[in-house]
Amino acid sequence: MNDAQVEANQMIERVKAFIAEQGRFKNVELENFKRMPGGTSREIWSFDALMTGAESTSRRSLVLRLDPAGSRIESSRRQEFQVMRAAHREGVPVPEMFWLCEDPSVLGASFFIMERVEGETIARKLLRDEAYAHARQVVIPQMAEALAKFHAIDPARHGFELLPSPGKDPARFWIMYCEEIYRRYTLDPHPTFELALRWMSEHVPPPPRRLSIIHGDYRVGNIIFGPEGVRAVIDFEIAHLGDPLEDLGWFCMRAWRSGQDNKAVCGLTDREVLYDAYEKASGIALDRQAMRFWEVYGNLRWGVFTMIHARTYLDGGVANVELASIGRRTAECEIEILNLIG
Amino acid sequence: MQDRPTAIELLEIVAKFLEHELAPASTGSRRFQALVAANVMRIVQREIQLEEAHLGEEVGALAALLERPHPASGTLEELRRSAQSLNQELCERIRAGELDSESARARTVEVLRRIVLNKLAIANPRYL
Repeated sequence: MNDAQVEANQMIERVKAFIAEQGRFKNVELENFKRMPGGTSREIWSFDALMTGAESTSRRSLVLRLDPAGSRIESSRRQEFQVMRAAHREGVPVPEMFWLCEDPSVLGASFFIMERVEGETIARKLLRDEAYAHARQVVIPQMAEALAKFHAIDPARHGFELLPSPGKDPARFWIMYCEEIYRRYTLDPHPTFELALRWMSEHVPPPPRRLSIIHGDYRVGNIIFGPEGVRAVIDFEIAHLGDPLEDLGWFCMRAWRSGQDNKAVCGLTDREVLYDAYEKASGIALDRQAMRFWEVYGNLRWGVFTMIHARTYLDGGVANVELASIGRRTAECEIEILNLIG
Repeated sequence: MQDRPTAIELLEIVAKFLEHELAPASTGSRRFQALVAANVMRIVQREIQLEEAHLGEEVGALAALLERPHPASGTLEELRRSAQSLNQELCERIRAGELDSESARARTVEVLRRIVLNKLAIANPRYL
C-alpha cells in the first residue's frame, strides 16, 4: 500500500466513526470512497454509506467537503452548512445537509457531509453538449425560481442575523467597500474604477424592503444539472445578507458567458428572460436601473479582486502562475463597466 | 543586436512546449497551470509587439482629454511615466467631480474605452 492509500484508509475509518457517533448507528460501512476532481479551495470526497441502526439499515449517497488543512475559516463552514440546511428545508433545490464537524482532530480541518446529487457541474458542457439541449432552454428560468425562493427565506426565522451584513443600505455599503479595497490594493491608477465609483454613487438604488440571504456567487458554474435542468444549487461559501438584486447582477456578468456574449445570462439567455422569471416567482418588480447598478458593482468587485490576486504574487511571492496572470484580467472588468455606464 | 531567435520566437517555442508537451503529460492542477503559463507567454509576445504604439495612443488621448500639451515622444520608459502620471491626474479629476457633466463623462468613457480595448488586445484578445 502506498502513502495515499494508507491516508485514505485512515480517513475512511475516521469518517465511519464520526457518522456512527453523529447518527447513533450500531455500524457504518463506506463504499466507493473516492476523491472527486475539482475543488481548488477544498477537497471533495464521494462515497456511499450503509448505516445500521437499532431497527434497520439505510443506504445513502454522500459527499464530504473538507477544508484545507490548517484552515482558520471554521466559522464560515458552519455558516455555509446552516444556510444550505435552511435552504433545503424551505424547498430550494439544495443537497440535504447531514453533519458538520469543526473539530480538527477528526480529519485535520472542518468538514461537512451532505447528500450527493448526481449530475454535471461543468458550465461549458451545458452550453455545448447535445445531451443538454433541453436543459439550455430551462436552466435560467429554473435558477431564477430557485433564487426567488432562496431570497424569500426570512433570515431572522433561521437565526441568520449574524451572517456578514452590509447593514440596511447594502448599495452604499458596497460602494464604500469597493473603494476601500481599490485604494488599498491598486498599484497603478485605474480611471475606469474611479469612474465606476463616481457613477455608482450617482445611481444608488433604494434599499430593499428587507435584507435577504444572498448566495454571493450565483451562476451556472455553481449548480448541478442534468438533461432535464437544475438539480441542485451548491457553493454557498460566501453567503451573506444583502439586497437580492446583488445576486441577479452577478448572474449577468460576462465572466460566466463562456464566450457566448450575445446572451447575457451565462451565455444562455437574455437578461429579460431572467428578470421575467424572477419577477413571476418573487412578486418583486425589478427596477432596471437598479439592475444596472448591481451589474456595475459585480464587475467592480471582480475587478478589485483581480488586483488582490495579483498582489498575493507580487507581495508574497506566491509562485502560482494562475494567480499572477489574474492581474491581467482587470481590463475584462474595465471594459464591461464602460459598456454598462457609457 | 542579439542573435536569432528573437524574443518573440523564443516565447513561441516556450509556449508550444508548455501547451503541446508539458500540459498533455500532466494532469489536474499542473496541466491547468501549464496552459495558463502558455497563455502568459502569448500575452508577453503581444506586449512586445504592441506596447509602444499603445502607450503613444494612450498618452495622446489622455493629454487631449485633460487639455494638456501632448508630451514630446520619448523613450519607452518616458512614455510609461507619462501614461502613469496622466492616468493619475485623470483619476484625481474624476474623483474631484470635475468630469461629471454629460459631455465630459461621454468623452471620458470614449477615451477609456479605446485605452481598455488596447489593454485587452494584449491581455485577452478573445474579449474584444
